[in-house]
Amino acid sequence: MKTKLAGLFAVAAALAVAGCHSNTVNSVENAQKSGQRTMLADQRVITDTQLARSVSVFGVSTAMTPGGVLKVQVELANRTKSLVRFAYRFEWFDANGMQVDNVMSATVVPDQIEGGEGKFISAVAPNSASKDFRLKLLKVDN
Amino acid sequence: MKRIILLPLVAVGVAFASGCGTNAHYVETGGRESVVSTGQINSQDFIQAAGDATAKLLASGVLDKVKSPPAVLAMSRIVNNTSSQIQIDLLTKKIRVALLESGKAVTTTTFGLDGVAEDPLAKNIQQQQQFQDGQTSTRLPDFTLSGKIIQNFVKAGSTSQSTYSFQLSLTDAKTGLAVWEGEKEITKQGTRPAVGF
Repeated sequence: MKTKLAGLFAVAAALAVAGCHSNTVNSVENAQKSGQRTMLADQRVITDTQLARSVSVFGVSTAMTPGGVLKVQVELANRTKSLVRFAYRFEWFDANGMQVDNVMSATVVPDQIEGGEGKFISAVAPNSASKDFRLKLLKVDN
Repeated sequence: MKRIILLPLVAVGVAFASGCGTNAHYVETGGRESVVSTGQINSQDFIQAAGDATAKLLASGVLDKVKSPPAVLAMSRIVNNTSSQIQIDLLTKKIRVALLESGKAVTTTTFGLDGVAEDPLAKNIQQQQQFQDGQTSTRLPDFTLSGKIIQNFVKAGSTSQSTYSFQLSLTDAKTGLAVWEGEKEITKQGTRPAVGF
């Protein structure tokens, strides 16, 4: 009887371990980069420390598109070992600091990041008058 | 005695049942509290697809290559190949508004598919004006926007998954060549509709 119970516990434990295994990402890239990113000094407001850990901002860079509008690229990294779902939104501001309100700033984009993964999210300004931006990262229930 | 015990239980039951429901309230359109369903395109999907298409179109710089900016855009056919009935304007209007606000393109409302103008009154006035002024030429569209929305539905047990593909092409009206093409895929998975992303 004891042997049977022990066997059952072992199977249950094995299943539990298998169910909780982490899914992380390994990656490789060229060490000598040809492209040079224009990194920005950023200003952060963190109200959700758990989200800030799982969807951590590593850097912000900008470039001008051929159409003459600002493009922003943000590098994110998941410092946990499991997949995290999140959503983000870019807000845009003109030279007077007034918000440029249109479909592109109303877009809340759902996204996900694997454990240990680094990824980029980017956005293009709604017009050439948009000079500044703000990225909002939102928690989504997994 | 039994009644004394039953009454509080009934009261607790009623309170619990009413607490489980959600009173109608306003939510942000396309925000993270939106209802998500796999069987149909939700408003946040249209917003996302339109936002993505506009961003890619603006970034490409193709609209800046016309001789006299802003570029004139005419709306062509956008085919719905999904299982649901779709108001295509939920996608195209957002793109039109965003392009107009960008200052890069304007959309003609007097030049429509199969000769049908979106704004017949404006077309009549335009024709009257041309007749009075003796002019015969109007500015023709530089580009046309056409596309297709495709749904790919799969099921595994009780879990269903839909991938909606929003495909758009911008064609140079003079050459007939697609000078820009964009595709945005949105995949949703679940067993039942839910509130929130």
